[in-house]
Amino acid sequence: MFLKPILLKELRQCQRILRRGVSTTSSWDIVTGICVERLPVVTPPLNEMQKKYKDMLYAIELENSLKSDHEIRHDYEKKQAELLKNESADVDLDTVSKITAQDFEDAATEELAQFKFADIVTEADKAGNKASIERCLQRHLVLVTTLKLGQDTKTILPQGKWQEGETLRQAAERVLLQHCGSDLKVQFLSNAPCGFYKYKYPSEIDGKVGAKVFFYYANYKSGNVNKNVKANWLTRNELTEILPDKYKKSVGEFLIEETY
Amino acid sequence: MFNLSIIKQFSRLSVTCTASIKQIYSRNIFTSSALQFKITEPLCAEPMKKKKKIDPAIIKAREERRRKKIEKQIRRLQKNARQLKPIEEMEVPLHLFDEMSKRKRAPVKLSPEVVEARALLQKDWAKYKQQEYMSHVAQIDRIMAAQRRALDKLYEESEELYDEAIMPDLSLIPYTIDGPVVTPPIKDYLSPDGEYIDVTKKWDN
Repeated sequence: MFLKPILLKELRQCQRILRRGVSTTSSWDIVTGICVERLPVVTPPLNEMQKKYKDMLYAIELENSLKSDHEIRHDYEKKQAELLKNESADVDLDTVSKITAQDFEDAATEELAQFKFADIVTEADKAGNKASIERCLQRHLVLVTTLKLGQDTKTILPQGKWQEGETLRQAAERVLLQHCGSDLKVQFLSNAPCGFYKYKYPSEIDGKVGAKVFFYYANYKSGNVNKNVKANWLTRNELTEILPDKYKKSVGEFLIEETY
Repeated sequence: MFNLSIIKQFSRLSVTCTASIKQIYSRNIFTSSALQFKITEPLCAEPMKKKKKIDPAIIKAREERRRKKIEKQIRRLQKNARQLKPIEEMEVPLHLFDEMSKRKRAPVKLSPEVVEARALLQKDWAKYKQQEYMSHVAQIDRIMAAQRRALDKLYEESEELYDEAIMPDLSLIPYTIDGPVVTPPIKDYLSPDGEYIDVTKKWDN
């Protein structure tokens, strides 16, 4: 029973070694692609279910709660005001405060109304500017750039060839630096690639049949992409529209789904 | 004998060994060997100080006092060891118990429909959360499989690169991340200064 996972692991290792043995000279270029993702800045809106459940929890919370100091003060003042209206003799005028709880509440609401929250729909959203990072604050955004591959230019994740003497991670960092400039700061999340994609060149170049792309995942930290580069920050839907079919599938395999 | 040695100390001043100072002034000079200057005997050490003798009873009393002092401190610490520092926010203030009757809200009479609706919603919510959990697990599986595949392919290409890739990334520790917020941050916003009053109590004995 417990042997099974161990055996499977061994089998896989054997398979890998075998495959390596067969293909002694690599006829593929090793390429690193970098998936830079900006995480949502603002929490996504609640869906129908979440809203309903939240309302219910709030209602139960209120039912089970005790009155706060503010509410007690409010009740007391109400009683006092009524007594004053009836001109009852036993009302001590000193105890009737000048600023009532209601006044305080009104002032607080007014202050809140005057405060202006930043708009979730930013200027970049209004202008439809996809190059700006300040867009779609509630969504994940992925950086895509236009790259010249052979004759044609393509809009894909930034990528570049691995050079002898560096690790893949170093290659990814170098490629991103060369491609997007030093202003863009990102956080790579692993030494290991998170995805893989393979494509063939139309004709052999320097004895290479095609390229194997190893994707690295990184989170956006700060800064902007170099202005000379045509770069866009795209949501999941926009990605599926713009990326080539097979490439899209490879990239989608390691990205988190957006539920809203 | 003693006298003689004392006089020797002053032999530098004296002209004669045995003659008194009065005699010197009277110029009573002899030509005997006694007239010659003499070197004082070298003294290589300070004379010993007399050791103070303390009553052993006093020493005993002093020791006793010191021991008692330490014992007292230990006792005080032991007494406080059981006593824990109170966590004020965990204890309900007593005045709230007194005002309990005042603070109670009017009991809410829920209609059977509302109770039923709430129970249903609770069940729906459980189902919803279960689905969400399952989708998360599936997503994690998918992402891990994608990574496994990438690593396998990398191994096919180059073993060295694979070995480098599976090394842990120590620069990630410690890792901090600012989560999503409810409203977007306002650019260049200076929050108004509030008053800061430190009400932290000190609990050292």
